[in-house]
Amino acid sequence: MKRKKSPSGFTIFIWVFLIAFTFWTLFPFFWGVITSMKSPGEQYSTAFLPHFQFKPSSYAWQVVLGQAEGERTRQGLRNSVLISSLSSLLVLFLGALAGYSLARFRFHRWKNKDIATWILSNRMFPPIAVAIPFFLIMRTLKLLDTIPAIVMAHVVYNLPLAIWLMIDFFRELPEEIEEAALIDGCSSFQAFLRIALPLSLPGIVAVYILCFIFSWNEFLFVVTLSYRKTMTMPVIIAGALTVRGLDFWKVSALSLLAVTPPVILAALTSRYLIRGLTLGAVKE
Amino acid sequence: MSEGKERTRFIKVGFLAPGLLYLMIMAVFPLIWSLSLSFQRWKAATASPRVFVGLRNFFTIFFDDPRFWNSLRFTVFYVFIVVTVELFLGLLLAYILNERIRFRNFFRVVFLFPMAAPPIGVAFMWRMLLNPDAGIMVKMMNNLGLNMVRWLTDANLTPFVLMTVDIWEWTPFMFLGLLAAFQALPVELYDAAQVDGASRFQTFRFITFPLLLPIMITLTLLRAIDAFKLFELVFGITGGGPGTSTESLSYYIYTVGFQYFDLGYACSLSWVFLGIVLFISNFLLQRLRKEV
Repeated sequence: MKRKKSPSGFTIFIWVFLIAFTFWTLFPFFWGVITSMKSPGEQYSTAFLPHFQFKPSSYAWQVVLGQAEGERTRQGLRNSVLISSLSSLLVLFLGALAGYSLARFRFHRWKNKDIATWILSNRMFPPIAVAIPFFLIMRTLKLLDTIPAIVMAHVVYNLPLAIWLMIDFFRELPEEIEEAALIDGCSSFQAFLRIALPLSLPGIVAVYILCFIFSWNEFLFVVTLSYRKTMTMPVIIAGALTVRGLDFWKVSALSLLAVTPPVILAALTSRYLIRGLTLGAVKE
Repeated sequence: MSEGKERTRFIKVGFLAPGLLYLMIMAVFPLIWSLSLSFQRWKAATASPRVFVGLRNFFTIFFDDPRFWNSLRFTVFYVFIVVTVELFLGLLLAYILNERIRFRNFFRVVFLFPMAAPPIGVAFMWRMLLNPDAGIMVKMMNNLGLNMVRWLTDANLTPFVLMTVDIWEWTPFMFLGLLAAFQALPVELYDAAQVDGASRFQTFRFITFPLLLPIMITLTLLRAIDAFKLFELVFGITGGGPGTSTESLSYYIYTVGFQYFDLGYACSLSWVFLGIVLFISNFLLQRLRKEV
């Protein structure tokens, strides 16, 4: 521990760098909060201290949540919550089953790792490549601008990752517990339902939250598959761009509504977020 | 006993089948349909009928579509710059925070924010910060004597503005990924190096770097594939402009498909794009491929 004795220039450099980087990272969020507290007359000012430099106003929030546009915003939030939770639930159901099968059993004609790799390769597709056929399929099925269309799209988008992560979570469970249960007369299905599933609960919750975040943030499928009734928060932000330009106060308030839920969820599950984003390549 | 075997078999196949079927129906089938459309001329906005044109769309892409080549050039350039900068900044941060334990969890959570926020929200927040007339960043830069307005109107400079936002958004990804990798490094090696009197640089060069290299390659590939699909930032900040200077491949295909409704051609473009992405993905998949 020789290094600790010298709080040298190096240490100072490190702290300056870290603080600068933290400031840089947080500034856009901070500015969004400040701008959402400004009245339209002050929206372009550089004042940043509420009460001291400018009088905080709830105008933006009144417009966004109140009579003028409240219905639209609430609908957006409702759609976002509904689509994200529903699609993640489906992903989890399909993903846990497939993950368990690939983690516990051996396939012969196709090797397990070939199946798993093929599944993951679905994650690599550029969404725009699928968006056009999706649009045409949903149009044929008369499902454009409906919740099921977007849920179905988000399930395809998240399922490969969920299966891939669930394989890992199930493999981390010691197989012996399930084997002991089988010897005690449990059926394989009971072993899965009563033992493997509860034991991997942290992983299951993490996958659910991850998929929820990805679905909440997803933009391209929603913007191509919906035009009025089923817009989610990200699309509503984009809709705030008018020919007159941007109303800063309004876009700030809407962005905050869209940004806060996934950011809080990510903070709660920070360990798993990186694991999910790196497709399981990094484990903490 | 044979009944038990039957049931086990049911679980083995029955559990995997729904997920696989879903992917077949919802991912593979649309792609195949898109492939068949890519051999047709189908301008849905006009009354002209769908016609089979063979490979003509692909000839147009490769030999007669400067806008495609422009978007490809922009996207490749963009990916190269952002991934390089993010890797180095992330490495630096991870190296620093690996040593200084204090407040590490605080930083770890703070740096998640940009990644967890919806990219389109990020785009609009930055669009406001960078607004040429009223953006706070532009004003602050002006006070420092730097004229930012040119950056937002000059087609040669706007790509760098988008890159800055991308670097803001995704450096934390490299950082947190590498930080986790740093923590997994065996302590004994460092003790040995210290006993042998290795300098800080030598320790990094001969121990940390080689051990970290595999994960660095994986993270770089992951990030590159993701950056290649760049869409939201372009949509939200520049709309591809000025001119077509910041038009990414995804955005170009989106324009052709959903604004010009030239569906056949958009599908051909999609397949060229898909080919490129799958080619790069192949390297990543080989690395991630594991014994399951």
